[in-house]
Amino acid sequence: MSALLETYDLTVSYGGLHANSNVNIKVEKGKLTGLIGPNGAGKTTFIDAITGFTNVSSGRAEFCGQDLVGSSPAERSRSGLVRTFQSLELFEDLTVWDNLIVMAETTHWWSFLADIIRPRRKVGVEDQAEWALELLGLTDLKDRLTLDLSHGQRKLVSVARGLAARPELLLLDEPAAGLDTVESQQLGSHLREILNRDITLFLIDHDMGLVLSVCDYIYVLDFGKIIAEGTPEEVRKNPEVIKAYLGETAGEIQAQEGAAARQQGGI
Amino acid sequence: MKEALLYSIMGLGAGGFFALMAMGIVTAYKGSGVINFSHGAIAMYVAFQFFYLRNEGIFHFPWFDILPTKTLNLPVRMSLNNGVGINVWFAMLLSMATALLLGAGIHYLVFKPLRNAAPLGKVIGAIGVMTYLLGLASLQFGAIIPNPEAVLFPRGTFKNFLGLGGQVSHESLAFAGLAIVIGAGVWWFYKSSRAGLATRAAAGNEKGAVLLGYSPDRLALYNWMLAAALAGVVGIFSGTITGSLGVGKFTGLIVPALGAALIGGMSSIPLAVAGGLIIGMLQNFTGTWMTSQSWFPTWGQSGIREAVPLIIIVLVLFTRGKSLPVRGNIEEKRLPLAPYPKRVGIYVAVFVPLGFVFAAGLPGDWGWAGLTGPWGFHFSVTLVAAMFGLSMVLLSGYVGQISLVQITLSGIAAFVTARLVSKGGNRSAEFDPFAVEGPGWPWPLASIVGVAVAVIVGMLLAIPALRIRGVQLAVVTIAASISIYTLYFENSELTALQGGSAYIFPAPTFFGVNMGSTSSSGLTDSPRFALFALVVLAGLCVFVANIRRGSSGRRFLAVRANERAAASAGIDVPKTKILAFGLASAIAGVAGIMTAYQIGQTAATSYEYGIGLSALAFLYLGGITSINGAILGGIIAGGGIVAYFGTWHSPGLFNYTAIMGGLGMILTAIIHPAGQASIFQPLVQHLGGWLMKARGTAWLNSLKRYGPFIVLGAIWGVIGINPWRTDDYSRFWMALTGVFLVFFVRSIVVQIRAARAVKAAQDAELKKFLAEMEAAK
Repeated sequence: MSALLETYDLTVSYGGLHANSNVNIKVEKGKLTGLIGPNGAGKTTFIDAITGFTNVSSGRAEFCGQDLVGSSPAERSRSGLVRTFQSLELFEDLTVWDNLIVMAETTHWWSFLADIIRPRRKVGVEDQAEWALELLGLTDLKDRLTLDLSHGQRKLVSVARGLAARPELLLLDEPAAGLDTVESQQLGSHLREILNRDITLFLIDHDMGLVLSVCDYIYVLDFGKIIAEGTPEEVRKNPEVIKAYLGETAGEIQAQEGAAARQQGGI
Repeated sequence: MKEALLYSIMGLGAGGFFALMAMGIVTAYKGSGVINFSHGAIAMYVAFQFFYLRNEGIFHFPWFDILPTKTLNLPVRMSLNNGVGINVWFAMLLSMATALLLGAGIHYLVFKPLRNAAPLGKVIGAIGVMTYLLGLASLQFGAIIPNPEAVLFPRGTFKNFLGLGGQVSHESLAFAGLAIVIGAGVWWFYKSSRAGLATRAAAGNEKGAVLLGYSPDRLALYNWMLAAALAGVVGIFSGTITGSLGVGKFTGLIVPALGAALIGGMSSIPLAVAGGLIIGMLQNFTGTWMTSQSWFPTWGQSGIREAVPLIIIVLVLFTRGKSLPVRGNIEEKRLPLAPYPKRVGIYVAVFVPLGFVFAAGLPGDWGWAGLTGPWGFHFSVTLVAAMFGLSMVLLSGYVGQISLVQITLSGIAAFVTARLVSKGGNRSAEFDPFAVEGPGWPWPLASIVGVAVAVIVGMLLAIPALRIRGVQLAVVTIAASISIYTLYFENSELTALQGGSAYIFPAPTFFGVNMGSTSSSGLTDSPRFALFALVVLAGLCVFVANIRRGSSGRRFLAVRANERAAASAGIDVPKTKILAFGLASAIAGVAGIMTAYQIGQTAATSYEYGIGLSALAFLYLGGITSINGAILGGIIAGGGIVAYFGTWHSPGLFNYTAIMGGLGMILTAIIHPAGQASIFQPLVQHLGGWLMKARGTAWLNSLKRYGPFIVLGAIWGVIGINPWRTDDYSRFWMALTGVFLVFFVRSIVVQIRAARAVKAAQDAELKKFLAEMEAAK
């Protein structure tokens, strides 16, 4: 299988701080690849860099063999590289259905003329949207404003929105954050179903449980660097990972939180 | 060269004026993150206050007599010295006190409640204050345009200044000096005083300032008072620098001041002062010296002065738009929801015939229910205002772009159309309706080209919107509006209009049927035009509704909600914004041309920025995020049908339109940003529902709910409002007016109650939480 997404020494710096340094990852088509790391490890920065929301300082990324440098987030999304946001970023004035459709439909310069004549015409992506809603059990909420939904439901809508776009690769940024264990397990089983629809997934989370249980291949990020990679078994046994996750003393945790705060530009 | 330098120096007086204004704008921005469009209006109010104190010893209170009785009145002015002017120092003291009072009032009554509002809410708040002050000033001082004199400054001139061979007045140099001295003081305040340091801290990080024990509210109050005091200095000392004192004058001069403030990055006082002085000098240099040179094109002579600050603003925002400070507010609210238009077909099918009956009445007489005469006129004004509102609904309501240039685009469409339908030039004729030379195109073709030109200009103006957003876009667009006004509408080289005359618009005809606004009486009150406008408005409503319901609407709202997420959804945000500007420009263009048909002619004054702001005020009152809001905005707009109901009751009421509009805007922004439409919409939907289903119990329930109000309103209307007016006309309409007013009051009460209920629930929850915490202890 060929690599769908590959990064070569990807580095992102904010001033003197390296949020990501020399990150090399490879996402293969049809596999579920995971990226884990403690809070503040630079996971979201990595997604931002790949999807064009943050400038890359050095190194590069390739998607389907094409260099990503210079293309806008919108262009990357249209080429099949779609992401979700940890902070959801739903379109709150739109219904759940419209949130999915706006993501999925392709528009042309003359679309507005068609709107004037037939605003509610079929746009040809309804099937995909229906499937995404059904898969995540959101069909009943179709006509509700996302504003009115609970946090868990909003979380699922953000995943459904990503799926509706029929992406080549969907980057899921912390989809399990804020879900309870049962919901988290349900989500995990959905992810396998998604893979069967020819959508490759890249799962970013700090929750070891979910990532280790569903992923085929895992990268571990800490302080902006890849400290380990391998199958779930290999990662579970890796001493670096155990240290990063379990062996932290209180002092180290504080230092880590400090780094996260600095990265977010706090005081 | 010598001459060029001299002319630049002669611009120093105006430069000092801009520098002082810019300081005030920066101060208000530091204190509360508001770009204060009302700064010029505050300066104007103080200038009038000072003028009347100094010359007639009359002190004016910054409010109006709101009590609706003849016997019990609120004092609005006080004569201190039997009509003789008072001591200059005392007058200055009282004027500065007025300024401080205004500053504190604006903080407490407007911007403190709007602290966490969406950027559009704050812009509306500032424009509301401006509209209120302008309306108040025309009411109190509008009768005459005084010529203020220099204060304390030496009069006279340097005959041959620095050997440059020309005169420079002492006053302008002294004024520039005053600006520099005060600038140094304000700079010191922010640099060294505790309140100043804390302000800077709060502007950078509000949460941090709170944690350090400073109240952002208190700091905002100090800054507002300082800003108002700076406006007061301008008002008192500008003397002869700005010439005669009109109500709208200082507001029109806000653009160069905004340019200077932006040069200072909205934070640096010294740079803002320098920027103001430079803009003043540049304006005089280009506007007086360059235009007098033989190489300068004649078409550019008018308006080049106003173009200078526009160019500076665009340059500054383009090069450092993203580095301008954005306040780290604790919480910022979003724009109200933009409802999905349902049952558009039914609405059109019900309301167009209804309007048709309202406008045309019964055959034989075009005057059912008194619609001939003023009614035809006011109904048409309402329809055209609603069209204009739709343009803003699409752009500001759906895409969240705060554009204040729409009225100018209307004007461009109307001016281009007017020029294209003209075919005159034969000025010797006894009466030549088309005195301007032109190709004499048929009106539909000319109108289409006019709209197309407006669309092109609108899309060009969208380019700044790609880099900047929110309130900064409002700054660029108001600057563009004022510049285009003088560069094009007032420029006889381009318009071929002599001495402020107007283009005559021919009446539109359909297959030989005259649909023009001029009736047989010669007035512009023909109901036929109302019919025409009704059809156009219905078409535009369907247009906007379909855009909202289709793929473009989804993209618009996605961009409005979250530009990042929109980009991640594959939406090309810049293209989407340009499309929105283009569509909104088209609607604005249609509205502009319809305005011209409605008036029967086109003059620059119909498309002044102030007209656009007042239209925005009423639109916001109606509801800026919905089509119903635009229609309601049209109904309550100045000169619309509600205003006419009002004038019937009290002929002088139109004097209060601006004041009430301004107050209404502020109240709406604070209490209910979605506007009145969201109250009326369910009401209309209920009505529609009964008509469709007509279930007995529903009728009964609603009758119970609304019936008493209807009866009350009708009774109040008939006997309460105007007991001595007993003609049939009043009996019919006053009852409706009363019902409308009662429902209006009711809707406000309902809103306040709902807001209180939410607050009470929050309080109760808080108390419960505290109690639980206590119990846990």
